[in-house]
Amino acid sequence: MNAETLYFNSLLAMCLGALFAVLFRKNDRMANYIAHCMAIVGSISAVLCAIFVFKDGGVSLSLFEWGRVGLVTARLDPLAAFFLLLVGVIGALASLYAIGYCREFYGKRLWLMAAFFNAFLLTMILVFSVSHVVAFLLAWELMTIFSFALVIHKWEDATVRRAGYIYMVMTHVGTAFIVAAFLVLATAVGSLDFEALGHANLTDPMASIVFLLALIGFGTKAGMIPVHVWLPLAHPAAPSHVSALMSGVMIKSAVYGLSRFLLEFLGVGQAWWGELILVLAIVSCVLGVLYALMENDIKKLLAYSSVENVGIIFLGMGAGVVFMAKGLPLPAALAWGAAWLHTLNHAVFKSLLFLGAGAVVQKTHTNDIEKLGGLIKKMPRTAVAFLVGSAAISALPVLNGFVSEWLTFQALFQLQRAFASIFGKVMGAVLIALLGLTGALAAGCFVKAFGITFLGKARSEKAEAAGEVSPIMSMSMLVLAALCVVIGIFPQTILPIINYVLPVYWGAETAVLFDYQSLGLVVNTGVADGVMGVPAVIGLVLLGLATAVLLSRLSGKSHEQVGDTWTCGIDPTPHMQYTATGFSKPIRTAFMSILQPERHKVVSADTNSYYGRRLEYHLSIRYFLHDKLYRPLNSGIIRGAKFIRRLQSGHLQLYIGYVLAVTVVALIWSSR
Amino acid sequence: MINTLISIILIMAAAPLIEGIIKTAKARFQNRRGPSVLQPYYDLAKFFGKDSVVSPTVSWVFRLAPYVYFATVFAATGVVATGGEVSQFADMLILIYLLGLGRFFLALASLDAGSAFGGMGGSREMFLAVLVEPALLLALISVAFTANTTALGGMAGAAGGLPFSLPYILAAIAFFIVLIAETGRIPVDNPDTHLELTMIHEGMILEYSGRSLGLIHWASMAKQTVMLMLFVAFFVPWDLPGLSQAGLGGIWFVIKVMLAAGLLALVETSTNKMRIFKLPGLLAVSCLLSLLALVAQ
Repeated sequence: MNAETLYFNSLLAMCLGALFAVLFRKNDRMANYIAHCMAIVGSISAVLCAIFVFKDGGVSLSLFEWGRVGLVTARLDPLAAFFLLLVGVIGALASLYAIGYCREFYGKRLWLMAAFFNAFLLTMILVFSVSHVVAFLLAWELMTIFSFALVIHKWEDATVRRAGYIYMVMTHVGTAFIVAAFLVLATAVGSLDFEALGHANLTDPMASIVFLLALIGFGTKAGMIPVHVWLPLAHPAAPSHVSALMSGVMIKSAVYGLSRFLLEFLGVGQAWWGELILVLAIVSCVLGVLYALMENDIKKLLAYSSVENVGIIFLGMGAGVVFMAKGLPLPAALAWGAAWLHTLNHAVFKSLLFLGAGAVVQKTHTNDIEKLGGLIKKMPRTAVAFLVGSAAISALPVLNGFVSEWLTFQALFQLQRAFASIFGKVMGAVLIALLGLTGALAAGCFVKAFGITFLGKARSEKAEAAGEVSPIMSMSMLVLAALCVVIGIFPQTILPIINYVLPVYWGAETAVLFDYQSLGLVVNTGVADGVMGVPAVIGLVLLGLATAVLLSRLSGKSHEQVGDTWTCGIDPTPHMQYTATGFSKPIRTAFMSILQPERHKVVSADTNSYYGRRLEYHLSIRYFLHDKLYRPLNSGIIRGAKFIRRLQSGHLQLYIGYVLAVTVVALIWSSR
Repeated sequence: MINTLISIILIMAAAPLIEGIIKTAKARFQNRRGPSVLQPYYDLAKFFGKDSVVSPTVSWVFRLAPYVYFATVFAATGVVATGGEVSQFADMLILIYLLGLGRFFLALASLDAGSAFGGMGGSREMFLAVLVEPALLLALISVAFTANTTALGGMAGAAGGLPFSLPYILAAIAFFIVLIAETGRIPVDNPDTHLELTMIHEGMILEYSGRSLGLIHWASMAKQTVMLMLFVAFFVPWDLPGLSQAGLGGIWFVIKVMLAAGLLALVETSTNKMRIFKLPGLLAVSCLLSLLALVAQ
């Protein structure tokens, strides 16, 4: 066994999976089991392939000779292997979940979904591994198309179709920018191979143009604000195991692409590139989590939270670019390492949360958390998994989200060194404070998401009738939850992998970056160091728990009475509970200028005005980016199209006239 | 290791005393005699001796939350325990997020009993956290930048070496505002209120009784002590000449913590509670003072 065989194994398994799904289209059960098992096999091969790369070093494979395009190669270097690991782990667990989840789709074009699912995984593996411009763009495009096909699986629904349409338009605009970025690079070097693109020697303005093109292009895929609009629509529309893959892995292809551009193709850039990324990143963080907090649709909430987490990843990358431009290799390695670790961590907890949301939606048939409640008693395993995911995404110790957010904090802390003036200090401090704000908002958001959904009493009959999902689904969720805990407690398990990717770009010095001492993790960057004593802190927390238990045991036997919740003397009903909208009210009010909430209250006057009045309350927030950016852009395009339409009169004579005029102009031009 | 444990036990044991001192000082400022300084101890003993009433609506999250809250504050105590080895291995970020973990569970528990008051308290507590977190980070970061590390031990060392200057005072005021918010005191929250509609922290724990309530109260008092200790360690680090040499540094530290507690009581007596939607302004002042301190450094 070596990385090469496993790589082809993985591709083959997914091809077969798609093929079998089509072959067994008459038998939903078979299609479900075979296709998703093949996806699991393929994903595990991808994980093993990545492990072999980490163990034995990278390999280059020639895939095929393709006419004038040239030799298409795949390169499994540490960076590619890291992302293969991501696809593999999340892909395997999402496929496992799918076996249980897709029973719901029996008789609803399941075979089509299973085939596209395999193809989607396959193209993601290709995106992360091919090392040729044309092949990359082809794989990128196919990845978009297959995910689009999965997003519009329930195409009977008009909102799903609209989500798919916007997804398609936005990602294609993004792809256009990526194509342009690659073309500029490829013309400069005269080769389409990734290895050659690094030797482009572009002038500064040209390099900046390529950077901007790549940032807009990949930023669109990542869901960076302001080009995020497709994400909160497309992720909720897709089936949940697909949302998990899209949010967990697909949007990370942008992180991969930007890493290649910024570390290999463009090399050391200019500091303002990093500053631009930092600004966009922190805006994505704060706005993303604010919008998530306002959302009562559980999958939309998770989608907006992906925007926030992409912001956190981009914070690391932006800081890394600044440090590279300023010639500080160790802080740069720290910042990029933080970004990659958060990429992995977000993949783990966000796919966990999407799978959990999928379980809830499957059992209650509603996305609206205002109609849920009390599910912890009906879906205990899902609740535990979702709680772990919620705590991890809120960056609470001792889970994985905290580790990467801590590293990002440390990277931002180093910004003071990058600038001689006070600017670095202020920038670092403001970014740290805003990242802290993001963390607190995320905690509020997930207290709401978990608390309203799982705790208290059921707010509707649908929630009352819910039951636990099949063991196979809860298993995949619990494995992901376990991963959150393991990476959180032992960052030593993942950081060596990061440490394996880093030296390729910054040399062997980075080996000393992370120091694992008996009491925890130390970050050595020469000047400003950080420490995180996870084992010590866990020890203290456990000791605290033991003390608390001991204290209550020591004070004698307790008699516990059961008494209803205090609701001022009235019998408590589910409608007396605090609502999700109410929970986010203080934050909505405090951030009114950004969120621009509008409420609409209707009091029906026909009933007695003192008792039992019927109230209707609608609340919506305005997305200022839609009003200020997309609507003007949209109407501008339509106006432009209307203007151009005048050229298209439909008269043949006029068209011949155009041809004549152009010919004359061309003739005059050429004879000059 | 042993040192840390002793420090934790001392801090946990002294926390109700600090609360008692604040209450007594407040009573004196208001021309009352007030209860004994030891009253918080009697209260805790009472809570631990009582039976509890639990709503049938609740799940294990409600039962677990007081223990998690207590454990996180306990760990936070260990993290800041001056002189303990752990402070070398834990930094301000872990401290802040540990307190966040406890808050997360209490806020969840507030939604578990299914009452409107609990949810209201939980919602406001999370809102307050949103305001406090950036202000707290900014106040600490000005010290951390000087120390070039986020480790608490290093930060405390660097704070001791700083000259008394304007940026110092600004940062100290900024942190004190955060301290008031984090300990839930007037003008941010009123710890003595029992009117459901105005409560924040107390509203969140309204459904608790008996030893669970005792654990929560104790943890809250310990958290208050931890915050006071941070304030003293970073912003009032000065030594009286000769005290440390005489081995009385610890006692001087305790005296400073008590003085800071008295200051808290003074502020509580001389202001009145703000509307909750005025709080963003107050915490924004704290953020701006920290930034000013950073620029002036």
